[in-house]
Amino acid sequence: MYNKKRKGIIGIIITIVILIFIVIVSNIETNNLSYAQNVFSFFVMPVQNGLTYLKNWIFGNDNFFTDISNLKEENEKLKEENSNLEKSLREYEIIKSENETLKEYVNLKNKYNEYETVPAYVINKDISNYSNVIVINVGTNDGINVNMPVISDKGLVGHIISVTPTNAKVQTIIDTASSVSCILTSSRDTLIAKGTLEGSSNLKATYIGPEATIMQGNTLETSGLGGIYPKGILVGTVNKVITTKNITDRYALIDTAVNFNKLETVLVITK
Amino acid sequence: MKKSIVIIGIFLTFLITYFLQSNFFSWFTIAGIKPNLFVMLALFITLFAGIKVGIPYSLFFGIFLDIVTAKSFGIYTIMLTAISILAGYFDKNFSKDSKITIMLMVLASTLLFEIGSYILSIIMQNINVQILEFVKILLIELIYNIILTIIIYPILQQVGYKMEDIFKGQKILTKYF
Repeated sequence: MYNKKRKGIIGIIITIVILIFIVIVSNIETNNLSYAQNVFSFFVMPVQNGLTYLKNWIFGNDNFFTDISNLKEENEKLKEENSNLEKSLREYEIIKSENETLKEYVNLKNKYNEYETVPAYVINKDISNYSNVIVINVGTNDGINVNMPVISDKGLVGHIISVTPTNAKVQTIIDTASSVSCILTSSRDTLIAKGTLEGSSNLKATYIGPEATIMQGNTLETSGLGGIYPKGILVGTVNKVITTKNITDRYALIDTAVNFNKLETVLVITK
Repeated sequence: MKKSIVIIGIFLTFLITYFLQSNFFSWFTIAGIKPNLFVMLALFITLFAGIKVGIPYSLFFGIFLDIVTAKSFGIYTIMLTAISILAGYFDKNFSKDSKITIMLMVLASTLLFEIGSYILSIIMQNINVQILEFVKILLIELIYNIILTIIIYPILQQVGYKMEDIFKGQKILTKYF
């Protein structure tokens, strides 16, 4: 009975470890190898330090460790100094974070000063894997209405789909039900950017005209057609153009200008 | 008295589940895919407390989620109620003693919920149909839900049987004898 219970607990612990491992591995970006570097460093660096110490000792550089009592005293002083510095650092981090949020607001206001806007915080994100709706902390009390466009300092976020007195739901441009009429900044060709199920920062650009010139790195902005989004707001950058046998069926994959995973502050365009 | 405590407990569990799903599991994902804790919650309540208790809870959870997070009203309400009906069928026909059976029940419920929600989304929200991406998300979500079931199974079994005693009482005996 005891063994069975113990085995059960061990099984659960192993499952949790496996789950954490899967979550970490599945979310690592392939170009980000700093984790691997850390793991290798963990094994290699102690040996490297030992060898360096040995080399210094051989060459007569070991006299640093002669006066142990002085070192202890110095160590205590440094510890105290370190704790004071850590305290200051924590205070500095809080001030820095507040400053960044305020700067973000100011930048947002300056960048889109031709529009009347209301700033808002993202307070909730969608719980489903198939839709991308966010909830913001402004509502009809702040003059917000359905279909108002929502932007961030980087570009287009989406539009309001429902509103209560204190908060509003925003359908983001990466939602599978979203379609945005766009133009390529360089060639002024029009296309439609739709949300996909692939990742949280991708769009699929379709209805690309046969004579349109579209290349990797081209930027997309709103065309102003459709009656929701004003003209000239950055949507994203062309990542890849997929050509098909029939040129009218070709499409492009777009990286959104906004990082929806880190989206915290937005502006709702009221006029 | 005991019943009221359990009823309040279920509401608290729902709130904890909601905050876990919208905060913790929004970043603790497998390849960007979140698990679906509400399917598990609706399934377990109906399995252990019975269909008469499970369906009202699922309706309440569904309405809450539709109002608070969803794009259009109805999908969570319909699908969570469907999960409760399925769980009622499981309760009548299968034993809850085996971990494997519970895992299979979670698998079937998640499949029903996700396929149903996706079809309803296509109908109600006119979304772009992407079968391959949907299958990929579905498979990862199924694996994630099963892993979570393995982890919480011991607590679930203990709490579940206590809940079963309170809500079903003597009815359990008539089922076996």
